Amino acid sequence: MNASSPAEISRQSLPNVLKDRYFATRIDTVVTLTFGAVSLWLLWSFFEWAVLHAYFDPANRDACVQSEGACWAVVTARWRIVLFGLYPFEEQWRSALACLAIVVTTVLSCLPWFWSALRLALLWVVGFAAFYILMRGGMLGLELVSERDWGGLALTLFIFAAVVLLGMPLSIVFALLRRSELPWISRTMGFLIDTIRSLPLLTIMFAFAVVLPFATPDWMNGQQLYRVIVGYAIFFACYQAEIIRGGIQSLPAGQEEAAKALGLRYWYRVGYIVLPQAFRNALPPTINQVVITFKETSLVTIIGFFDILASGRAASGTGEWSFATIEVYVFVALIFFVFVFSLSRYGAYLERRLRVGTR
Amino acid sequence: MSDPAIRIAGMHKYYGKFHALQDIDLTVARGEKIVICGPSGSGKSTLIRCINRLEEHHSGTIEVMGTCLDDNVDHIDEIRREAGMVFQNFNLFPHMSVLDNCTLAPILVRKTARAEAENVAMRYLERVKIPEQAHKFPGELSGGQQQRVAIARALCMNPEIMLFDEPTSALDPEMISEVLEVMVGLAKEGMTMVCVTHEMGFARQVADRVIFMSEGRIVEEAPPEEFFTNPQNERTRTFIGQVMGH
Repeated sequence: MNASSPAEISRQSLPNVLKDRYFATRIDTVVTLTFGAVSLWLLWSFFEWAVLHAYFDPANRDACVQSEGACWAVVTARWRIVLFGLYPFEEQWRSALACLAIVVTTVLSCLPWFWSALRLALLWVVGFAAFYILMRGGMLGLELVSERDWGGLALTLFIFAAVVLLGMPLSIVFALLRRSELPWISRTMGFLIDTIRSLPLLTIMFAFAVVLPFATPDWMNGQQLYRVIVGYAIFFACYQAEIIRGGIQSLPAGQEEAAKALGLRYWYRVGYIVLPQAFRNALPPTINQVVITFKETSLVTIIGFFDILASGRAASGTGEWSFATIEVYVFVALIFFVFVFSLSRYGAYLERRLRVGTR
Repeated sequence: MSDPAIRIAGMHKYYGKFHALQDIDLTVARGEKIVICGPSGSGKSTLIRCINRLEEHHSGTIEVMGTCLDDNVDHIDEIRREAGMVFQNFNLFPHMSVLDNCTLAPILVRKTARAEAENVAMRYLERVKIPEQAHKFPGELSGGQQQRVAIARALCMNPEIMLFDEPTSALDPEMISEVLEVMVGLAKEGMTMVCVTHEMGFARQVADRVIFMSEGRIVEEAPPEEFFTNPQNERTRTFIGQVMGH
């Protein structure tokens, strides 16, 4: 077929494209019309609920209760609880800045310029330090706010960033040990990974938060929040280690042989030949794992932390707003969507960028 | 200077119970070019891969440039620095440009400064006639070009010996000659070469000795003229008949 002939070009016009794609046969027409009608109806209903019949001003609370539209007034009135949880009201600007610190650090570390071990390490030390000083205070004239009172978006972001940052290097170590040539090392690592993967995340969080302090000496225990993060990071590392191992095993054996033949020692082979290619191969499942990790931070509620989902529940938990749970959940879902969708898009960008080398 | 480039004595290699190499004795003088041929599964690739420890031998001795190949990691590293290797499937690093492929080992292993390593790399890329491809990625090159880059990459380490493991077997016919041309040039400059190959024309042209292997043993070794015109062993005669296509 000669796509560049004049007849073909004229066929690219909008009505023709529509006809080709949606109304080519009688069945196509039926399907298009049915789905079109259903989609339009759904969109319209949502629009009606979310915009046309909605109330935004908290002063209209009573009208809200009667109305069949959304009551965004609850968000206008209670958004600070959703975002900051139990954090002291007067100090919430600090929590907002701390969120910003984590987001900026994350965005910066997505830029190729920062992709060296030294720069990334420096960046995250500064990022976490900024977060910690802002959130916890107790220095620089900031009032002390203990980890127990952290909550909302800041807590979710902090747990997520800390878990991925601790878990990622750990997963590389696990994957390399798992592939050790010494059978007792690889078997032990394999057993550990399989064991931890067989346990529910809830159990692990609970064990680290509540059970661990009975078994370990006091100086090791630290704050409950950090214990939960360590437990979650180990859990993340076990899954991610298997993803990386898959990436390593998809490399042709010749890659390592060529590196050996050139005289490159183990760490050079791992750092320059094996891992860069393994990460490339393992990128889609890695993004998947990171996205899941972000969403599962919500499980910290069971230990009594107020992550963003729990704070959302608290926001509509008062008698005054208890009728508006759905609106708060939609608001929280929107926040999750913004973060997770950005992660996915960044993953897609990385895939495009890294393909350059492997065409 | 008295040590030969490679000295192998009484070497055996097993894969489980399979006796892959049996009592191999082989000495390669400096500057000598050896071609190893034989039917598939005869152990020729295994032999060449034992020389730089891509495969481990189980008994007997291997010495390369006077260094004994044993479990001492320093010895293995020393030998790998001195013996460059070219593979059947090129094995270029696909995530690095051609130039980075060539400079990686000199920078990391020989601790050469980057600018110096790049100069050397460009010189060798010119020698294999593809300097203009230096900033492309391996996946953008043809098979013949990739194999020439692989040769340049090995040469950048300035090795004393070059090992070729069926360097033209994965190439389309029209690309074989461009690779052989580079290898012939290298031979003329006096490089010590051990080549596993079925290119009998190449063997005739450059080899000092042709070695024929069968079932894990060296069955026959002779200068090419004698090897091709007057093979002593029955199996050698059969093999020559097959590869010559008569």
